[in-house]
Amino acid sequence: MTTTERAYTGKKGKNQSSKQPSTVQKPRKIQRSPGWRILVTAALAVAAVYFLFPVYWLTIAATKSTSSLFGSSGLALDNPQLLTNLVNVVTYNGGIFGRWALNSVLYSGVGAVVATICSLAAGYCLAKFTFRGREVWFNIILAGVMIPGTALALPLFLLMSQVGLVNTYWSVLLPSLVSPFGVYLGRIYAQAAVPDSLLEASRLDGAGEFRIFFTLVLRLMMPAAVTIFLFQFIGIWNNFFLPLVMLSDQSLYPITLGLVQWQSVSDRHPELYQLAIGGAFLSVIPIMIAIVSLQRFWKAGLTEGSVKG
Amino acid sequence: MKRIRTIAAVVAVAAVFATTACTSTPPGSSSDPSEKANLTFWSWVPGVDKAVDLWNKENPNIQVKLEQTPAGSSGTYAKMYSALKAGKGAPDLAQIEYQELPGFVLENGLVDLKPLGMGVESSKFVDWQLGQSTFGDSVYAVPQASGPMGLYYREDIFSALGLKAPATWDEYAVAAKTIHDANPAQYINTFAPGNSAWFTALAWQAGAKWFGLDGDTWTVNIDSDTTLKVASYWDKLREAGLIKTEPDFANGWYSDLQNGNIVAWPSAQWGGSILSGNAPTTAGKWKVAPLPQWDSTYASANWGGSSTAVLKGTSNAQAAEKFAVWLNTDPQSISLLLAGGYGWPAAKNALAGSTLDKPEEFLGGQNANKDVFKKSDESINTSWGWIPTTANTYTHLNDGFQAAVEGHGTFVDAVKAAQTATIADLEAKGLKVRAGD
Amino acid sequence: MVLPLVYAIYESVTGIQRSGAFGQGGSSPVFVGLDNYITALGASAFVASLGRVLLFAVVQVPVMIILATALALLLDAASAWGVRFFRSAYFLPYGVPGVIASILWGFLYTPGLSPLVNFGSALGLNLDFLGGGSILWSIANIVTWQYAGYNMLVIVAQLKSIDADLFEAASIDGANAWQVITRIKLPLIRPAIVLTTVFTIIGTIQLFAEPLVLKPLSSAITSSFTPNLSAYNEAFANNNYNLAAAESVLLALVACAFSFGFLKLVTRGGSPS
Repeated sequence: MTTTERAYTGKKGKNQSSKQPSTVQKPRKIQRSPGWRILVTAALAVAAVYFLFPVYWLTIAATKSTSSLFGSSGLALDNPQLLTNLVNVVTYNGGIFGRWALNSVLYSGVGAVVATICSLAAGYCLAKFTFRGREVWFNIILAGVMIPGTALALPLFLLMSQVGLVNTYWSVLLPSLVSPFGVYLGRIYAQAAVPDSLLEASRLDGAGEFRIFFTLVLRLMMPAAVTIFLFQFIGIWNNFFLPLVMLSDQSLYPITLGLVQWQSVSDRHPELYQLAIGGAFLSVIPIMIAIVSLQRFWKAGLTEGSVKG
Repeated sequence: MKRIRTIAAVVAVAAVFATTACTSTPPGSSSDPSEKANLTFWSWVPGVDKAVDLWNKENPNIQVKLEQTPAGSSGTYAKMYSALKAGKGAPDLAQIEYQELPGFVLENGLVDLKPLGMGVESSKFVDWQLGQSTFGDSVYAVPQASGPMGLYYREDIFSALGLKAPATWDEYAVAAKTIHDANPAQYINTFAPGNSAWFTALAWQAGAKWFGLDGDTWTVNIDSDTTLKVASYWDKLREAGLIKTEPDFANGWYSDLQNGNIVAWPSAQWGGSILSGNAPTTAGKWKVAPLPQWDSTYASANWGGSSTAVLKGTSNAQAAEKFAVWLNTDPQSISLLLAGGYGWPAAKNALAGSTLDKPEEFLGGQNANKDVFKKSDESINTSWGWIPTTANTYTHLNDGFQAAVEGHGTFVDAVKAAQTATIADLEAKGLKVRAGD
Repeated sequence: MVLPLVYAIYESVTGIQRSGAFGQGGSSPVFVGLDNYITALGASAFVASLGRVLLFAVVQVPVMIILATALALLLDAASAWGVRFFRSAYFLPYGVPGVIASILWGFLYTPGLSPLVNFGSALGLNLDFLGGGSILWSIANIVTWQYAGYNMLVIVAQLKSIDADLFEAASIDGANAWQVITRIKLPLIRPAIVLTTVFTIIGTIQLFAEPLVLKPLSSAITSSFTPNLSAYNEAFANNNYNLAAAESVLLALVACAFSFGFLKLVTRGGSPS
């Protein structure tokens, strides 16, 4: 067993019964003096300034006109015109920004859902069925976790161009459906969370393998599913190299590619600076809100799925 | 692995669909111009949107959809090449600079326009610009505009220091020192290490001729004494700390133009619109002088000439050719493009009576086109040509210049290294090549 | 996953032969063996780019992991006010795609625009984020900003799963805060640290979007600044797909070697308690 595997399985025996160890009401903290408390808070606050400063700058910049973007302090408001700017962003070039946003949601949403189901199924098969070459497959998957996705983007482009899929939704979607990390996590989790006895019982009841998977196993593996889904969703959302290589039609672009396009066009069309910044603002803020409000699930998923497994 | 097998199956099925789709629609060779056509056009030229709108209004049957892209070498050529390689996703029409045309021809990416009408229309264009898109017996693009060079300078700052526009490069170096000594924050210009197209134009002006074709063999002569003279000139200014070395066409540079920390720019005719667009508060303070000279015979150069090409895989090559010729010869279209600042028209007789021939407010009322650029355009060494791997050569120069700016080697070293590397590039393409002219 | 790799290997041992100045005489692919690999490894720029990402990884990975661990431990100490707010604030940048983060920080690095540079020069400091000496670390900063919060959350999750009885026992034994951290917390969160380290290694070696976005702003970023940038440039600017494929394969090998190497190292270093 490798160490990473231990990362998931390390605590399994102990915590299987208590689903939320953090809620256990016991005095887990050792009380400290107020001076210590101020010190720790100050350290945390300094870190918070670092993490929030660019967000603050983006918010201020999004309110500015192109000329005051270059001509005024980046930290203070200067004739704020946020609404005008945002209207420009969403109406520019026939509302292409909305199209990009929808594309991003499509790539990430569909990609993450399918990848999650595939990963769970594959992980479950690897964990609960014995077949020839099982360990070989698992090692290939493990190697897949280690291979940087971007190193595969170029070969994928060459492959996709052979079969004529370049510059289609499929060219970005198909590679996004594969998640070696998801399979890996799926297997670890299935080993720990799906008891063999339950499977035996269902089979004795005459349930088919598909039914067992979709009704029983999926439910048991839900925490892992949440983790894989979120992981894959953000992964696809943030992906840049793959769509950059695959897509040439602007109407297929995800937001990342579109904004970079605006930003690089702006050397000859200065008005696009403001669009790039306004677009960044519009695309970042909802995701930030989502991320923060979904934090519970991230945590739950990570605790249940990754760490405890 | 079940998952992988599923994907393989999907890919296979999709492949079958793609092949049937290919065979059922014949490649776009239909040549009836009255037929309906929808064309996409990639361009980054300011003002082209207005010209396209005008075309679409006048030609309901041939509708052109413009996609404004980043400048070619900032990623758009890469996109075109990848689409051509993939056999789909390429636009019908695209902006292609002269130096990139041989590369597209080598990758078999352009439609020969001669049989489609360019053969007849070619008399409408200036000879040397037409020559940039003619290879062998084929015309692979409609010439659009060139970039005859001149020197943009802040007249207010120069005259406050008692400086005249430098007529020679020696005077230019003196001006560089005067300016920087008077105000350490100010520099005469930036030598953008990532923009070797600019350096190439300056070598062109000095009389260098880097590339040639001898039968089937390409010749490469980048490290000639002439080019090395230009490189070492800029080496001296850089080592003396008299020029900036920040990237051009970038935020920091715009900011320096705006606040007067950069006071001159040896640039092309289209540079005026870049200045007025990005440093609007400096309006009225700029003037244009002829490019500083090396010798007594006046010589100029071209920076950033460009064409409109029809890409392989177009749905209607005939309609595309028609649009490309219209875009670059129709007086109304030309005046819209001129207003955006697309460069010096490739169509003959475009100056007289056009929007080119008038004083410009941004230049304090100077009629720079008449005063400077007309003569500049006539003084370009028009025998200059390019190779199919010009982009690689630019990359080598950029890398060398960037290293020099970081303190590793000199611009001269960069030029020498580019010579060797360029020969290797052409060999790697499976082409015949030798050094010298 | 296997398919693209196999195809990449096929492309990487192929070359092209042409006749005529523009290949009018026809072109054909030929088997060239390891020529493309020799070219790639013989090109000082590509080798330098590999060296650069390795240097980047060697510095970036420890900084990232130490920062994430420190933040997690501080938050878990719960001796502070506003723990929930801080945790959200740190995690927030994870939702910002790398390219957008780079556009953002790009503005914050640009002289004349950046409040940071202005602030620095007001203090008499000449901050140059985009120069040759600093650009790699400016990129490291973007990566750290983006992922430190995520790594922190993974570690926090494992900290939360530590049995509270252990802390009780420790406090009865009179352990101080430092001892609790070094004797109980750190050994128990080792798996999470290993996991985040492996992911950070893989992430740093495939550096691409950040230098691509910052390239127009910085003279110091060449077209072969990182292996991925080099492969992209070879493929699409120079149309040398074969060389690009060879570079991709080399990059995958290096990344694999490093991650497995690290795992081997920590596994051999003894098992966590």
